[in-house]
Amino acid sequence: MKRLPPVAGELIDRTRAVAFSFEGASYQGYAGDTVSSALAANGLRLIGRSFKYHRPRGLLSAANHDANAIVQVREDGRSLPNVRADVATVQPGWRMSAVNTLGGLARDRLAVLERFAAFLPVGFYYKAFGSKRLFPYWERMFRWLTGLGTVDLTAPRRVSPKRYDFCDVLVVGAGPAGLAAASAASARGASVLLVDENAAPGGSGCYARGGSSSTFDRCTALIAEIQRNPRIRLMLDACAVGYYADHWVALATPAYLVKVRARSVIITQGAFEQPAVFRGNDLPGVMLASAGQRMLYRYAVGTATQLAVLTSNAEGYAAALDAAAHGIAVRVLDLRTELGPASERQAQELVARGVTTYRGVRPIEACGSGGLASFLFQHEISGQAREERLALDGLWVSVGFAPANGLLHQAGARFRYESSVEQFVPAELPAGVYAAGKVNGVYGFEGRLEDGRYAGECARAYLAGRERPGAPPVQPAAESPTHAYPIFPHRRGKEFVDFDEDLQLRDFENACQEGFDSAELLKRYSTFGMGPSQGKHSNMNVLRILAAQLQVPIGSLAPPTARPMFHPVPMADLAGRGFTPERRTPLDGEHVALGTVWMPAGNWRRPEYYVRSGTSRETAIAEETEAVRRAVGLIDVGTLGKVEAHGPQAAEFLERAYCGRYANLKVGMTRYGLMLDETGIVIDDGVIGRLAPESFYFTTTTGNSATLFREFGRLATWWGMSVGLVNLTGHYAAFNLAGPRSREVLGSLTSLELDAAAFPYLGIRETVVAGAPCRILRVGFVGELGYEIHLPAEHAVSVWRALLAAGAPHGIRPFGVEAQRLLRLEKGHIIVGQDTDGVTHALEIDMPWAVKMDKPFFVGQRSLRVHETRPLRQRLIGFRLPVGTPRRPREGSLFIEEGRIAGRVTSVGLSPTLGRCIGLALVEPALVGRKTLSIRIAPGMQVEVEVVKPPFYDPEGHRQHGGGES
Amino acid sequence: MNDRPGLRLRDLSRRARFGCKGPGAEDWLSGLGFRVPGGSNATAVEDRTLVARLATSEFLVEALAPGAPQIQAARAALGAPNRPHSVYPVARQDFVLDLRGPATVALLRQICSVDFAPAWMNAGADSGIVLTNMIGVGVVAWLKPDAREPALTLWLDPSYGHYFWSTLLEIGRELEGGVAVDEP
Repeated sequence: MKRLPPVAGELIDRTRAVAFSFEGASYQGYAGDTVSSALAANGLRLIGRSFKYHRPRGLLSAANHDANAIVQVREDGRSLPNVRADVATVQPGWRMSAVNTLGGLARDRLAVLERFAAFLPVGFYYKAFGSKRLFPYWERMFRWLTGLGTVDLTAPRRVSPKRYDFCDVLVVGAGPAGLAAASAASARGASVLLVDENAAPGGSGCYARGGSSSTFDRCTALIAEIQRNPRIRLMLDACAVGYYADHWVALATPAYLVKVRARSVIITQGAFEQPAVFRGNDLPGVMLASAGQRMLYRYAVGTATQLAVLTSNAEGYAAALDAAAHGIAVRVLDLRTELGPASERQAQELVARGVTTYRGVRPIEACGSGGLASFLFQHEISGQAREERLALDGLWVSVGFAPANGLLHQAGARFRYESSVEQFVPAELPAGVYAAGKVNGVYGFEGRLEDGRYAGECARAYLAGRERPGAPPVQPAAESPTHAYPIFPHRRGKEFVDFDEDLQLRDFENACQEGFDSAELLKRYSTFGMGPSQGKHSNMNVLRILAAQLQVPIGSLAPPTARPMFHPVPMADLAGRGFTPERRTPLDGEHVALGTVWMPAGNWRRPEYYVRSGTSRETAIAEETEAVRRAVGLIDVGTLGKVEAHGPQAAEFLERAYCGRYANLKVGMTRYGLMLDETGIVIDDGVIGRLAPESFYFTTTTGNSATLFREFGRLATWWGMSVGLVNLTGHYAAFNLAGPRSREVLGSLTSLELDAAAFPYLGIRETVVAGAPCRILRVGFVGELGYEIHLPAEHAVSVWRALLAAGAPHGIRPFGVEAQRLLRLEKGHIIVGQDTDGVTHALEIDMPWAVKMDKPFFVGQRSLRVHETRPLRQRLIGFRLPVGTPRRPREGSLFIEEGRIAGRVTSVGLSPTLGRCIGLALVEPALVGRKTLSIRIAPGMQVEVEVVKPPFYDPEGHRQHGGGES
Repeated sequence: MNDRPGLRLRDLSRRARFGCKGPGAEDWLSGLGFRVPGGSNATAVEDRTLVARLATSEFLVEALAPGAPQIQAARAALGAPNRPHSVYPVARQDFVLDLRGPATVALLRQICSVDFAPAWMNAGADSGIVLTNMIGVGVVAWLKPDAREPALTLWLDPSYGHYFWSTLLEIGRELEGGVAVDEP
């Protein structure tokens, strides 16, 4: 391997040398060199080790799909894993090493694994993990042995913001067909985005030249035309990795992910050249012919001095002509005995250059230690088979292609197998999606241009709402570019089909015999197509093997599903910038000033408790709880969902949406609201107040507010009701003033009559507090006399401060979510989502008063009627521990009954008021009547609890009704 | 501060505004002398007052300059007990943000999946609004007819205000020309 004299169109800048190291040795390349081309230019054939057997591997495709051309890069104190050597441009100072080695690339000690190949059959993972006893052993071993690069856990986060982009027509692939398609699509003013995963446009038109410059010159002219066209944007180094509904396409660029919305998409991604399957086909030095051509024309690197081209198509002859044009000694080994017209023409040209051509070739074995040294094959001379061995340092393989149709599959295209080109071609495309070029089975240069132009015109017509412009151009295949079965078994194996996972021919034969006889089953059992190349080099050969094993036509088999991402994408790019919307109440600054410790609640941040110097978290929470019980406390509950319903059918709407009764709710009063889904599962609760005959104001839980408002809108539309809904959640603040002194505090700031007769428990009033318009709800969630004050956000701070000032003489204290949880637990009030789960229905939570089954309809009622006829699965109970019990259960602790799980703790806490641990739990109904139950608090450790019917505190509700001490 | 920042942000939350909704809202607004746009997602600007039609029968009315007696009067009328039954108030404590500058398009490419470019090209005095989602937050976006540079106003739930503002500043600092904050 060596660097050649300058080549027209090369991507390297010979004026800028780049120094780097690989496996500890220093090398030099040029700016624009990929890691692979730089290594090749320095004479290195061995660049990686295989995944399973750690066999030596070299270049295969040089096209962004090589599983064994992956390196770890260290630079400036950071370490990047799994850098793709065949596309990443080498940078000054890069220190690189091969991945997946033990002791270095040259002397990888894990190469010993190949000696155990007989004990590593297909489906080895499944067979190994079949034993429960040995599972941990295998898990540890696989975790140690497998994996590619090493993630640097200390590396700083790379922020990779995603972008959106838009165009009328997106053309994926800037080869000859893509260039022609983009040009045609833009003709009537459409905006076109032309993307290509390579560093330069032109595709095979620029690197598969057949020894002449004509296709290169044509492509260069087309590219110049595109670059002058203001309606066409050319985006390079951008790999289209996923197609989603409505022409959304994800592009992976070196720095970030781009999500493109197009009105029409043209796929001209070409085809992946496929390896032939023969013994030793993975030796460094054996590569796809297109890889050799890419190296020649993009990077001016000759990959061999003694080369043979193993082929069965015209593309192989073109590759041989390219090699010969650069002074490489080349021979042609054709699998065929009869050549097609294009091959025949080129064969004659090669003969004229003195190149030897063999026909009727049957590969036997590529030989060499650590790299190709010779190639043994059989060929026909005058009908007689003859074995021959050639001494080589390079073997280019050109036996066929697999269409790059992953995006078309994702778009919903249907395919048929076209035997004249031995590949799947689109039979039916979704509206607005078009294909052209090799992916369409068109391989000739002129044919691809014509096919691309037609696709561009189709896209243009689609955008204009017109019919397709006539019939597609007919492209008869004079000779197939792909061999029907380039598989050559050897009695000693090592004919590799999937280079990513080291899968050999016999692995697939054995898997078929074991019954894994569909592509999807075979994929999962053998793991073919699951490595870094995602089957781009193995899917078609596996299908051919499977078809041969099953003795069915290949066209009757479906290739494996191609899901996004079509090509591996760095996790940082998938993550993007990482937007996490966080909501804050208007009192956020007040809480900061009061020294709060925050906690997340849904997508809000809420005060967990307020820090007091010299006190612990537990003490602070206990003191806040005590302040509410003994004096007065103030909590920000602005995170509650807050909704208004107006209109003549507002009451009826609430009757249907909630399972309580609201038609008879008096103006100025509130009522508890429990909401179910269609299956009767409890999904939310809140308080519903009537402001006027046709106006209601109601709350939802914090976490559900956004979802439920959408659901309310959906229900109102679905039911066709005359009700207007207004979401006030973020526009209104709310805080709960609670405690025996709350009436005195509030009374000092409002003229509203607050005595129990004028403003009874569960009343709602609209008034002015500290100069601000407010709604006040007399609620008792924490079990004390309390006023929930709701008001426009702009007045929140002034009223909050006024309340704290007015409450100071009474010992007012702000309290956080943790104190509120304890206070409500003492009252036995449930929190939906904590004391219920995704399967808890309304009959299981011991709140029959909240469910009015005699109503004509409410959401979930029908399902509850079914539940009524069946035994309950679980019941909500209360429990308490003896005073002074040192060890307490936690939320989620399990009730164990006769050795099985019989329930779980949903809420638990040490009540400062009661001086003991109390809790709620969901248990089997059979346990409800028990006096005591056992909760498992640690392995082998249980605690006995007393079953108690909540509430634990003020069971008659005197305090919340405003009746004073109980 | 950068003399020619790529992006300029301005907090317009303190502008006077109100919202109303209901089958009688259009007639009620017209009766008060507001020019009401004809279709959904349309706007009308008259006497430095914006009337945006957010849905068939929901409106946002905002003063584009200080001093808006008409808006104050309408707010009072909405809160009065004798307001028509077919109209009800919509609290509008929005976080309102003006975005402008040559990097506005680059910013939008990172935060929103809507292509605003065609709408800008056609933006007139009564340019439309777009109800969409930006960085996970529902917004009302109004394209400002401004020949010099891309500009738009966003209304969003005030509880997202801090997150939205700080995220835009973070992105803006990375854009060409950086970001500057104008006085409200």
